[in-house]
Amino acid sequence: MENQRTVADGLRMGLRALVYAALGGAALIAIATVVSVLGPMLALDLYSPPVAAWWTVFTAIAVQGVPFLLLGTVVSAAIGAFVPERVFTRLLPRREALAVPVAGAAGVVLPGCECASVPVAGSLMRRGVAPAAALAFLLSAPAINPVVLVATSVAFPGQPQMVLGRLVASLATAVVMGWLWARFGKEEWLRPPQRNTAHGPGGGPRAFVSGLQHDFLHAGGFLVVGAAAAATFDIVVPGSVLEVFTGSVWLSVLLLAVLAVVLCVCSEADAFVAASLSGFSPTARLAFMVVGPMVDLKLIALQTGTFGRSFALRFSSATWLVAVASSVLVGWWLL
Amino acid sequence: MRRYGPAALLALVGAAILRVSLFSDLYLRYVQAGLRPYLVVSGAVLVLLAVTVGVLARTAGEPTDEQADERTGERTDEVPEASAEHAGHSHGPAGPRVAWFLTLPALALLLVPPPALGSYSAEREAAQRAAQGTGTFPALPSGNPLDLTLGEFGSRAVYDSGRSLRGRTIRLTGFVTRDDDGTWYVTRLLVSCCAADASAAKAEVRGADAPPVDTWVTVTGTWRPKGALGSAAAWPPVLDATSVRRVPQPDNPYEKR
Repeated sequence: MENQRTVADGLRMGLRALVYAALGGAALIAIATVVSVLGPMLALDLYSPPVAAWWTVFTAIAVQGVPFLLLGTVVSAAIGAFVPERVFTRLLPRREALAVPVAGAAGVVLPGCECASVPVAGSLMRRGVAPAAALAFLLSAPAINPVVLVATSVAFPGQPQMVLGRLVASLATAVVMGWLWARFGKEEWLRPPQRNTAHGPGGGPRAFVSGLQHDFLHAGGFLVVGAAAAATFDIVVPGSVLEVFTGSVWLSVLLLAVLAVVLCVCSEADAFVAASLSGFSPTARLAFMVVGPMVDLKLIALQTGTFGRSFALRFSSATWLVAVASSVLVGWWLL
Repeated sequence: MRRYGPAALLALVGAAILRVSLFSDLYLRYVQAGLRPYLVVSGAVLVLLAVTVGVLARTAGEPTDEQADERTGERTDEVPEASAEHAGHSHGPAGPRVAWFLTLPALALLLVPPPALGSYSAEREAAQRAAQGTGTFPALPSGNPLDLTLGEFGSRAVYDSGRSLRGRTIRLTGFVTRDDDGTWYVTRLLVSCCAADASAAKAEVRGADAPPVDTWVTVTGTWRPKGALGSAAAWPPVLDATSVRRVPQPDNPYEKR
């Protein structure tokens, strides 16, 4: 019996390996043929100047974003894996009204982009942090951490007021939203976040590697989506249409605040996109960088998944309004 | 493939970054020169991470593979729960689905690196000049002919009250762009971070026939003053050409802003 079984197993394994090899080989040959035959043809046919420029801008934004994305995800994975979450709980004041600004300022210590902050905020709530404080952290962390601020100062050389403006406007928005939640928020909107099994519990090097891998791939995917949207916007929309908007301060602020929601650029890379929108007023670009890390399509999806839809829609629309108001005020004051 | 998907993706992205930064100068088509060390380190880290993730997936995957038949029931139960928890953030063992978009730029960089931006982008960019006042500039270095960037030539021609360009033989390198009326320019794109923020600097060339658009040329000549200093009429600056020579595209197709 034993012998028969091992022989059958061996046969089955051999067969399986053969099938895999044949399928894989055929697929590889097919891909290689298609690429080598069609590649140059497509390259000639499709590489009309606008398409070529689209590809260049698209890859440029992606290449530019990768080092910052990687740095951010390395540090955030390290904190996620090696810093116990109750450290945050212990550091927060008991009173909610006080805990909100402290949690907002604590966003400095999580150098991640917005994709990382949603699961962290969920786990903070599980550990007993007041929702208002966790939400302030959720909003501020992707916007005011050192990696993002350094990226902003690199993207806007010689304009430190842009970095300061981003810090002030983002922190103000996060704190105001936390207080608004503490005053008007209803528990039943917020579906309590369940144990997130996908990322695995515990810490240590294994959690570090899996967290890093997940965060980088996840955020990288969204970076590529954002780069594609930004490149399309760059190539398709004629400059004259933008001039209509750039001519009016109010319209340009609103346009870029909407654009930030649609483009979903990662907060570690959005300063470079903002810098590339050179036709717009500084206040409009500030609004782009303040709204982007707090409200965008992928964040609404993420929050819907973690906290429920009735929360995500209310919270995102309120945050958008507060963020636009705050960047207009700060822009008028600083820029 | 599901198990090794994340590792393969990370390796692909790492390889693409290393291909343009470590093994060639292609990165200069997309980003500014100063980013090279960061790109090389990122590429190396990504490849390392891919290897680690692959090894971990191998060791973690072995027991589940043997139990795969018994556990299929369990797994199908997990799927709806996971997707309810992360709407728009779905990932199975193959990692977040949105991550597969990373293959687009990675394969583009590995197989058909997109070209540097050229006349198409230069013509779309309304030439934006920094609103700076006129003033004196530092003395030009010696050299005959003197190599200048188009950015420097433009700002000295329009804003320099010391008229430091007068009487000097200047050499400019850029690609050819043309107006509808036949005027042609030697043009260069100025980049501060990446190609997405490119803006154009150009100089009108007189006294020589226009090469085809997008040809790279080195133009030698003298500056011809035009318009009042600092006014819109002074832009774009004019060069009376004595020679126009075709050159290969430089390693760095852009000028630093």
